[in-house]
Amino acid sequence: MLGNDIVDLNLAKIQSNWRRKNYLDKIFTIGEQLLITSANNPDEMVWLLWSMKESAYKIHNRKTGIRDFAPKSLSCTIHTNSYGAVNINDSIYFTKSNLQTAFIHTIAAPVYGKLEKIKVAIYELPDHPDDYKSTKPGSVSHHGQYLALVY
Amino acid sequence: MNKEEIIEALKTIIEPYSEEVTALAHIDENTDFINDLKINSANLVDIVLDVEEKFNIEIDNDSMAKMLTVKATTEIIAQKLEANAGQ
Repeated sequence: MLGNDIVDLNLAKIQSNWRRKNYLDKIFTIGEQLLITSANNPDEMVWLLWSMKESAYKIHNRKTGIRDFAPKSLSCTIHTNSYGAVNINDSIYFTKSNLQTAFIHTIAAPVYGKLEKIKVAIYELPDHPDDYKSTKPGSVSHHGQYLALVY
Repeated sequence: MNKEEIIEALKTIIEPYSEEVTALAHIDENTDFINDLKINSANLVDIVLDVEEKFNIEIDNDSMAKMLTVKATTEIIAQKLEANAGQ
């Protein structure tokens, strides 16, 4: 099983005000909040952590059949070179992120070795393929200008 | 506040976060924030914070975890209002 999540940073800027009172506390663990407040680019850190959580949740949700909104119970660890891990209860998911100025894209897999085997396709409007479902992607993510597929 | 009044107040909160005009016009208990209203998951947090402010209640993490539909959200608001009233 695979997960992926893309954040259109230009849309995120207008769609979400993470500086709103209590916002970070609802989503991020104390450790993650420290990463954000101490980051050189806090906006990038917020959406990096968010895309890690979302991509891992997409696998966990399919694995357990449980649908909920508990972002704080997904705990992120960031390693070097945009690799990371997300712990959800007793499960761990490995992530790799692609940080660009216009978007952040994260892929997730339940096994670390799988990350390098994942094929990624990112499309920007108006170039979204209509028939992408027929290509049977392992995970689909849409946000703003972007469509991200992984195989 | 009865259930209908809570749903009405909730509608006002939800509206700015959805562009699904038809689904918004037909909000009922079974409406799902993500599947029906296509609300971005990062905006679900805004809805939770708006609910806290509007109803003067505190939504704990376990309650927030269930807040994916109008029905679940309405039930949580009613419970919290009742708990506040009993204090």
